[in-house]
Amino acid sequence: MTGLSVRLFGAAVFAIAALYTLQAGTYQITFGDVLGPSVFPVIVGIPMMILSASLVVFPTGQVEWAGRDRMWRQAAALAVFVAYVLLMEQIGFPITTAALIALIGIIMGGAPWRAVALGAVFGPGLWALFDRVLGLPLDFLGKLFG
Amino acid sequence: MEVLSLIGSGFLVALTPLNIGLLLLGCFVGTLLGALPGLGPVNGVAVLIPLTFAFGFDPTSSLILLCAVYFGCMYGGRISSILLNIPGDEPAIMTTLDGYPMAVQGQAANALAISGVASFVGATIAVIGLSLFAPVLARAAIHFGPADYFALYILAFATIGGIAGVDPRKTLLSALIGLMLATVGIDPISGVPRYTFDNFHLFDGIEPIVALVGLFAISEILLILEKSVKDRPKAIRVDRWMPQWSAIWPTRWAMLRGSGVGFVAGVLPGAGASLGSFMAYVFEKQKSNKKGTFGKGDPRGVAAPEAGNNSAAGGALIPMLSLGVPGSGTTAVLLAMLISLNVQPGPLLFERQPDLVWGLVASLYLANIALLVLNLPMIGIFTRLMMTPTWALMPVVAAITFVGVYGISNSVFDLELMVFFGVLGYVLRKLDVSLVPLVLGLLLGGDMERNLRRAMSISDGDWSILIASPISITLYVLTIGFLALSVWLAVRDHRQTKAERLTEG
Repeated sequence: MTGLSVRLFGAAVFAIAALYTLQAGTYQITFGDVLGPSVFPVIVGIPMMILSASLVVFPTGQVEWAGRDRMWRQAAALAVFVAYVLLMEQIGFPITTAALIALIGIIMGGAPWRAVALGAVFGPGLWALFDRVLGLPLDFLGKLFG
Repeated sequence: MEVLSLIGSGFLVALTPLNIGLLLLGCFVGTLLGALPGLGPVNGVAVLIPLTFAFGFDPTSSLILLCAVYFGCMYGGRISSILLNIPGDEPAIMTTLDGYPMAVQGQAANALAISGVASFVGATIAVIGLSLFAPVLARAAIHFGPADYFALYILAFATIGGIAGVDPRKTLLSALIGLMLATVGIDPISGVPRYTFDNFHLFDGIEPIVALVGLFAISEILLILEKSVKDRPKAIRVDRWMPQWSAIWPTRWAMLRGSGVGFVAGVLPGAGASLGSFMAYVFEKQKSNKKGTFGKGDPRGVAAPEAGNNSAAGGALIPMLSLGVPGSGTTAVLLAMLISLNVQPGPLLFERQPDLVWGLVASLYLANIALLVLNLPMIGIFTRLMMTPTWALMPVVAAITFVGVYGISNSVFDLELMVFFGVLGYVLRKLDVSLVPLVLGLLLGGDMERNLRRAMSISDGDWSILIASPISITLYVLTIGFLALSVWLAVRDHRQTKAERLTEG
C-alpha cells in the first residue's frame, strides 16, 4: 500500500488535533476578554483536523525509511543523546561530553581510538572554554563524589 | 539623502571593536560552515544562537554576528560545490553544474574567483536594496492595525511553503502544528494555563530556540546517519591559486542579471536563497546558452547562481526586518533570536531601534568586504578545513548544541525537549513536510492570537472587523490567489507523475 507512512502521520495528527480542540473548550472566558482563551485553539484545531483527515484519505509522496542497519545506528545515536541528557547533571559535563563525542563518532563510522581521542580532547576542552573562558557555569563532576 | 546619514550613523555602531571582532569571527565561521558539506546556514545559525545568549551580547551585536555567519555560509557553499562536486549547502547546488566541470578542466582557481566575485556583487546589491527598500516597506506597514496584522500572518503562512514542489496541505499542516505549539503555556491575556499538563516547565511556553535547534540540528544528525558512509571525497588539486582576471570580466552581466533575479526571489515570501540561485541559473541559461556550453563548465553558469543566492539571502532580510515576517528558513531562525532577546521586528523597529537596523546594514557592507578577502586570497584555509571528516565534525557540533541549549536556562527539561523536537523534525523531513512553516507558526502564533483578540475587543465581538480595512482585504485576496495557484500546480504535477507512471508501466 502506497503512502502508508503519510496515512499514519495524518491519523496521528488528526487524533492530536481532535484532543487539542476538545481541550480548548474547557478554558473559561474571563470578564473583559471578548474572544477568550479558547477560540484561537479552535481556529487552529479544526483546519488541522480537516487537512490531516484529507492526508489519510489522499496521501501524497513516497517515503523511503532507512534500512535496518541504518535504523540501528539512528536508535543508538538517540539512546546516546537521551543518556547524555539524563546523566549530564549527575556525573558532570567533561566526562559525559567526552563520552557523547566518542560514541557519536564511532556510530558515524570513525575509527574507535580516534573517536575516543577526539572526545578526550573536546570533552574537557569545551568545558574549559564555556565554564572558564566564557563564564557559562557547567558542572565539573556533578554529584559523582557526593 | 536621509538614507546616507542613517547608514553613516550605522557605521558608528558597526565600527566598535566588539562588533568588528564579531563580524570577522562570523564571516570566518560562516564561510567554514558553508564550505563543510552537511552544515548549512539554517543549522549553523541555529547552533550559534544559544551561544550568543550564553555570551550575553546585546541584540545588535548578536544580530551582526549571526548575519555575518548567514552571509558567510552563502559565500562558502560554493567551495565544496566546485572542488568536491558536493554542494556545501542547499543554495549551492546550482553551482556544481558548471563549477565542478570548470575545476575538472583545470580552471578551479578561475571558478572560485568568479564565484567569489559573483557572491560579492550579489550580496552588495542586496544590501543596497535592503538600505533603500526596507525603510519604505516599514513606513507603509505603520498603518497596519491588529486586523491587518492578522491577515498578514495568514498570508505569510499560506506563502511560506513556496509554490514549488510539495503538497500544499503538508505545508499548511506544518504551520498549524507550529501555531498549536505556540498556544502552550500561560495565556498572557486571561492568565489561564493552556496545554501545560500541569508541568511547570511548560508554563512559560515552548522556547522557540530550543525547538528549532532540535528540529534542524538534531534531525540533521539523524539524517546523516541514514546515508551510507562513502569514502572520503577527493578534492580536485589546485596547483595555482591565482585566477586570471581576464576570465572574470566577461561574466559581469551574468553576475548583474543573477543578482537582480535572486534579489526579487529573496524579497518574495516563501522563496529564499535556494530558489534564488535556481531561478538565476535558469534565467541565465535561457539568456546566454547559445552554444550549448552550460553544464559543461561555462563561467557564466557559475557567476549567475552564486550572485543569485547571495542576493536572495540579503533580500530575505527585508520582510523579516520591516514586517516581522521572514521569507526563508534562516531568516525565521534570525527572527527567533530577536524575539527571544525581546526585540520585535516590524515597522516600529525602524523608529524605536534605528541603531540596531542601521548598525546591521552597515555591518553587512563591511561583511561583504571581509568575505571577499576571506574567499579570494585566503581561500586555501577553507579548502583544507573543508576536508574534516563527518565522523569528527558532527559529534563536536552535537556537543556544542547541547551546551548551548543547556546554557539558555540551565534546565535538563530543555534538553529533553530538544531531543524530542529532533525526532519530530526527522520524521517530518522524511514525510516531505517543510519545517520552516512550523518554526514560523511557533514564532508568530502568540502575536497572531494577540492581534486577533485585540481586533475583536475593538469591535466588541464583531467578526466583520477582520475584513473591514482595504489593507486586510487586499492581503486576503493575495492569500486566496496564492493558495489557488499552489493547489493548481500541485494537482498538475500529480497528474503529470501519474501520466509518466502510466507510460512507463
